[in-house]
Amino acid sequence: MFFHIVLERNMQLHPRHFGPHLRDKLVSKLIKDVEGTCSGRHGFVVAITGVEDIGKGLIREGTGYVTFPVKYQCVVFRPFKGEILEAVVTMVNKMGFFAEAGPVQIFVSNHLIPDDMEFQSGDVPNYTTSDGSVKIQKESEVRLKIIGTRVDATEIFCIGTIKDDFLGVISDPGAAV
Amino acid sequence: MVVLLDLWSYCSFLLYSYEDEPEPPEIEEGDEEELENNEDAPDEIIGGEGEEKEQEKTKRERKTSKYMTKYERARILGTRALQISMNAPVMVELEGETDPLEIAMKELRARKIPFTIRRYLPDGSYEDWGVDELIVEDSWKRQVGGD
Repeated sequence: MFFHIVLERNMQLHPRHFGPHLRDKLVSKLIKDVEGTCSGRHGFVVAITGVEDIGKGLIREGTGYVTFPVKYQCVVFRPFKGEILEAVVTMVNKMGFFAEAGPVQIFVSNHLIPDDMEFQSGDVPNYTTSDGSVKIQKESEVRLKIIGTRVDATEIFCIGTIKDDFLGVISDPGAAV
Repeated sequence: MVVLLDLWSYCSFLLYSYEDEPEPPEIEEGDEEELENNEDAPDEIIGGEGEEKEQEKTKRERKTSKYMTKYERARILGTRALQISMNAPVMVELEGETDPLEIAMKELRARKIPFTIRRYLPDGSYEDWGVDELIVEDSWKRQVGGD
């Protein structure tokens, strides 16, 4: 799920950046530092949409650096248990398959793939139904449900399932070509 | 004591000085002369003005001294000199000075150091004083006054 929230961060700035463009420099540094990072608490920071407030800088003793408290609005993405996501399959093996929904890695174990789908090894490993009408391989797009998340300080990893109504392949790269 | 960098005064001053390059040096010189010529009287006026402005801003009276202590002066000059030595833009016109500490002293004389001093009191509260509001004691003139 995506959220638009306000976060705060203390930014250290080198004295050479002081001057009329201090604010711009601070904002570009913030974007460089924060966008694309992941925190266990808020999820992945997708984009910074605005800077609300830059407080007074605190001068660090001895180093000459200055710390500014910066409040910024950003879009964050955090997966939840029970959430339905669309994801792209990145790797298929006999244990199951891995898929990616934006920055999040999701693993779908073969226990959580419908029983009528069988693993087919070979050049392009895939899961296929007995009649061959549905095929999951690399680059397939699947709709899946998240049943578990592991949240570390700097990483989020999910376990998904496609063993439920309305879940499974939504577009097949082989069929499209 | 904590020293804060006042972002906005920094920006506004620098923008001003960049846009109207020829003017500020004259103004600075004028300021300096005033300060140096009239030793006590203008200090009080300047201090008074600063306090009034601050009261308007914060609506609260400050009770610590309006004089900069020698410790504050040392800390400010040291910090500012360090920043200048790390390529921070200088706020005054240079006349061949290269020593960061000398430039910092010149900036302090011109009241152009963009710092705010946060004085913590024993009860944990604090008062903010801009370096430009504080009266620098006369003794610095003896130390710096070579030029």
